[in-house]
Amino acid sequence: MSETTSKSIREDLTQRDELSLYTRIANNPRPFFKWAVPMLVLIAVEFPTYAGVAFGMLDAVVIGVTGLLDAAIGLVSSGLSQTIRDAQYAVVGVLRDAGGFVDGLPTLFSREVIPNQGYQTGPNGPWEGTFLGLEPAYAWALRATLIFAYALFTAYWVFRGWLVYRDHYREADWTPTDDIVDNLSNHQWGKFGIFVLILFLTMAVFGSALGPTTVEQNIQSPYSERINYFNEDTGEVDQVFPGDANFNSKSKGSAEFNVGPMSYDDYGRFHPFGTLTNGRDLFTFMMGGARITMIVSALAIGGAALIAAVFSMFSAYYSGRVDLTILTTADGVVSIPRLLLLILVSAVFANHWIGNVLNGGFLLAIIFAFTTWPFLWRAVRGPALQVAQEEWILAAKSYGQQPRTIMRKHMFPYIVGYLLVYASMSTGGIIIGLAALSFLGNGLGISPPTPAWGRAISMGQDYVSGPSWHISLLPGLMIVLLVTGLNALGDGIRDAIDPEAGGSAEGEEAAAGGGG
Amino acid sequence: MSKTTSRPQSAAQGDEVLVDVTDLKKFYGGEGFFAGPPVKAVNGVDFTIKRGETLGLVGESGCGKSTLGRTLLQLETPTEGSITFDGTDVTTLSGSDLKEWRRNAQMVFQDPESSLNDRMTVGEIIREPLDAHDWKTKQERRERVLDLLSAVGLRDEHYFRYPHQFSGGQRQRVGIARALALEPEFLVLDEPVSALDVSVQAKIISLLEDLQEEFNLTYLFIAHDLSVVRHICDRVAVMYLGKIMELGETEELFQDPSNPYTKSLISAIPRPDPTDTTRRITLPGTPPSPRDAPEGCPFATRCPAKIRPEEYTHLDEDVWDGIERFREVIRERSRMDLGVTGLARRGVGRFSRFDDLEEAVSDLFEGVDVPEEVRVHIEQAVEYAKKGYPSKAREYLYEEFSSVCDREKPKFYETSGTARYSYCHRHANEYEDVDPVISRRTSDE
Amino acid sequence: MSSETHADPTAGDTEPILTVENLQTAFYTDRETIRAVDSISFDVKRGETVGIVGESGSGKSVTARSIMGLIDSPGRIMPGSSIKFQGQELTELSDAEYRSVRGSGIGMVFQDPQQSLNPVYTVGNQIRESLKINRGITGEEAVEEATDLLEAVGIPDAKRRLDEYPHQFSGGMRQRAVIAMMLACDPDFLICDEPTTALDVTIQAQILDLLKDLQEERNLSILFITHDMGVIADIADRVNVMYAGQIVEQAPVEELFANPKHPYTRALIDSIPGEHSRKEGLETIEGEVPTPNEPADHCRFAPRCPKAFDACENVPPQHVSVSDEHDHTAACLLYPEDLTESHRVEKHLSLANDDTEGDT
Repeated sequence: MSETTSKSIREDLTQRDELSLYTRIANNPRPFFKWAVPMLVLIAVEFPTYAGVAFGMLDAVVIGVTGLLDAAIGLVSSGLSQTIRDAQYAVVGVLRDAGGFVDGLPTLFSREVIPNQGYQTGPNGPWEGTFLGLEPAYAWALRATLIFAYALFTAYWVFRGWLVYRDHYREADWTPTDDIVDNLSNHQWGKFGIFVLILFLTMAVFGSALGPTTVEQNIQSPYSERINYFNEDTGEVDQVFPGDANFNSKSKGSAEFNVGPMSYDDYGRFHPFGTLTNGRDLFTFMMGGARITMIVSALAIGGAALIAAVFSMFSAYYSGRVDLTILTTADGVVSIPRLLLLILVSAVFANHWIGNVLNGGFLLAIIFAFTTWPFLWRAVRGPALQVAQEEWILAAKSYGQQPRTIMRKHMFPYIVGYLLVYASMSTGGIIIGLAALSFLGNGLGISPPTPAWGRAISMGQDYVSGPSWHISLLPGLMIVLLVTGLNALGDGIRDAIDPEAGGSAEGEEAAAGGGG
Repeated sequence: MSKTTSRPQSAAQGDEVLVDVTDLKKFYGGEGFFAGPPVKAVNGVDFTIKRGETLGLVGESGCGKSTLGRTLLQLETPTEGSITFDGTDVTTLSGSDLKEWRRNAQMVFQDPESSLNDRMTVGEIIREPLDAHDWKTKQERRERVLDLLSAVGLRDEHYFRYPHQFSGGQRQRVGIARALALEPEFLVLDEPVSALDVSVQAKIISLLEDLQEEFNLTYLFIAHDLSVVRHICDRVAVMYLGKIMELGETEELFQDPSNPYTKSLISAIPRPDPTDTTRRITLPGTPPSPRDAPEGCPFATRCPAKIRPEEYTHLDEDVWDGIERFREVIRERSRMDLGVTGLARRGVGRFSRFDDLEEAVSDLFEGVDVPEEVRVHIEQAVEYAKKGYPSKAREYLYEEFSSVCDREKPKFYETSGTARYSYCHRHANEYEDVDPVISRRTSDE
Repeated sequence: MSSETHADPTAGDTEPILTVENLQTAFYTDRETIRAVDSISFDVKRGETVGIVGESGSGKSVTARSIMGLIDSPGRIMPGSSIKFQGQELTELSDAEYRSVRGSGIGMVFQDPQQSLNPVYTVGNQIRESLKINRGITGEEAVEEATDLLEAVGIPDAKRRLDEYPHQFSGGMRQRAVIAMMLACDPDFLICDEPTTALDVTIQAQILDLLKDLQEERNLSILFITHDMGVIADIADRVNVMYAGQIVEQAPVEELFANPKHPYTRALIDSIPGEHSRKEGLETIEGEVPTPNEPADHCRFAPRCPKAFDACENVPPQHVSVSDEHDHTAACLLYPEDLTESHRVEKHLSLANDDTEGDT
């Protein structure tokens, strides 16, 4: 390297207080702007959707956290817990107002821009109210396709942002992460996992725009607003409550009472996945369920992974008695039957308002986190023990580094990969568990009428072998797809962080062992 | 020759002592009701390191040299003994005092693969000790890292590279830079070059020498490679099974070792000279387990100059060697777990697991004419063992064939005027000295 | 054992047991082709020990693996390479045929004995297995033979040791057990790949003595690979010095240490620390061992060589004799010394051309 670069490195390092990304961008702004402007546009066109998701999550977090605080402090002082509740109401009020405001803002791929709900003005007549007068099926398909395309492209553009950073603004020209990313991007099965994950995340974020109708209109308050339809009997355009329309569009397993996938009902409504036993739109139901499922499973696995990470590092760093204590605790937790615990906790909190946060999902997330961490802990304890034996840990001790910092800087980066692998694979179990609880019903799982995948399967179980097979099968297949995708992702990450296990890095090995 | 001492003193008393180790012991395990005997990794060592010198610590794997190095730096808590560093007893330090002291004493590790966290850039690695001690400002820390990089022969642009991008020698340089970051006075170098190729090794050694001069460093150089030690060290301590066997000025110790172990060790180094005709002393067997160390001299089981009991001095070397090897065989068998069935069979007198001992004996004494006085004892021991009582056989042999080397711990004898100490009974006036015994043996072969 | 017992290098009339000619082993990766072994030739005669010495990355282990047929994808032995063992061409053998050669003719001792010992079987079990497969000895006879083998490699109380597992053996004992396992195949030829590197000096001395004794008893030929010049001086009769996939110097051991000719060999000997270096300071070689990923159209040591001149960058040096009395060659443009620089370059060029023509 030339004298000048060497000098500039020294200046960079010693003259400035912080090596800011900002100065590096200021020195060479082109690549950044070439990336940032499209990114801004991508965000802007759907900004209200993202803001809505963010407010919703904040809302749940505030209620959850204050609820837990309330429950804990309520044992000691009821006055204090009242203050907490007041604060909660105030914050949540603000959040809901803001949420209401952004909800009103237009987005590019909304049902207002590309409407699919309309009515025929006569038999085989043109469609009124749909996008460009298209048939509802095509209008819906167009919107759904555009949303998925947008989501995939946005995901790619975010990744592209990292590439821009790596190529233009990072000081190091190579980091170990590069290899992991490169390995993952050469891993077909892992890429399939990422694709599936993006697909379901899209459903969670854009769920309300993806469905042919809305959860609000079709499921939660079907008697608040009438819709137009072409009445074949009278040959005129009539109005009907969606609830009444649902009543006449049930899928009950017989030829006359069935609205199958990719078909219209008598009210000109298109049902991509058919209808449920109560005539509601299955696809809308599934999209509505996606968000709650993703949030609850993410909370559960995130919580479990956090506990597992901290405990595994404690186990490995201190070993001996600390390890033994955690081991005993973990065994204790594992020995509690999960279903029994769920029933107990659900019963105890049945009338407590915390049971309503995220429609009961928050409580479920806590229970799943509590019962899942021992498995994750066991899986990452091995790698953690291995890292704890490395000499760099001893070196850090030798200059008096704090145990906390040693764990964070020297151990965590090595177990986080394994944590991701096992977490993505365990998430499948949690999703299936959630669905199973909703399937069982009886006050377990997500409380109705909020959509939950398991409930759809449960409804359809009597009709599996008839014309209404779609009610159970399609939600079931979606769960299978998501769980498979997560497992694929886990495999991909594992092979990416540890290529020797897969055997794709023999070349490097040979290069390294060229003599020796 | 007969001047004895309980602990070796430093050569010239005028030199300032930086590190003073007294009766240091480090045992592992052995606590608790079900635990077996402890592993005596370091079993009572005494030495001093003078400011600015390089003390070599050599020995075979498992002799406790690495444990000693780590205990010196308080990375292990000593079981017993004291370590005085510049006047303060560091074994009593804790908390922030200990952290503050750690600035003075740092370590360079053997394995350049394992000693650097390869998820951090080289700059972060070297800066970490500074961060941990909140050293000056951020800019000054970075400047210090760059200075350290150039001090160990690396360049500024290496700051943002990862350890993966470096060769073994360069990684070791990074490790050295990290150890130097806090301006320590004392460095423990734990086999810093043994994982490197000769040509790279030479460069690292030269670097260490230059740095010592530049920063007035004191080194404890731990190694198993004696030729490296001979090159870099001022004084050398030779360790065996948790004990220091000999301590002295490097060149003198290499040219005229006093202790039988040092003699064997030095003669075992293959010399890069095919015309070399010096006879090698090949030691039999392997070092005993530090869990079951001999109660007398630790080297007694393999020593080529072991003192024999009065009544067996006339025996042939071959016979005596056979007896020693036989004792080792019995010792190993006495360590075996007989198991429940074994104990039950022994109880009813039908123990048969050791019936192959006779074969072992005939193999050990193959082609050797065993005199009657020895044969009876051997047969008696075999009898005991075959009945299922190998410990009894071991005790019987101990009673019959043990000498002062087996029974009593030697003392340190000053064997030359330049403060050389050797841990061996042979230096006492009543016994023949080491040299004639060993030369007689080697010429016999 | 002292140097006087080294085989007389002039007794070279005996037929070589192993002849390696123009051996090229390359590893193909996405980015580059690594010529780990690049056109080397040497031979081993019956009953002698030939050493290969070099630093890591020099290709010495790949040489051993190539002879043993243990090169896996992405590595490949290039066409034109020849490895003849007792007259049989090994490079053309199928996997099954190779296995039978490995079972009876050639044995290999690795640096890490764990590599050759299965931790879930007793040592006796593994030696008996080897006896059964390679020599058809079974039952009581196999136990006897296994005991004898362990005794032969100097393990006391052999019969009991047969029932122990590898982890119950110390490092040196384990290496002895591996040697016993190799002897169970009754080989004529033993490849030792850094067999003593992981061991302590006193144990290393035992193993070296053992190998010499076994060689004498069984008339073994040994190819001994190490990075340690001291060990090479002790055990080898003839030495090949390897650098970046090529042999740079070949000589009888005394001659090599007395008159090292190649600048690399000299630097290597000078960089060994010890009694001499203390006063004079250590010689170091600048730079790093290169990865041999370019075709050999130049001297690979040239960038680090104190005596390099312009031609070293463009002319591939060939082996030329550098001694009148000894079978001593070096691949360096400084030789033959009696010619002028331009004549030397010309000679090497013409030798290189002969070589390539011979290949095609």
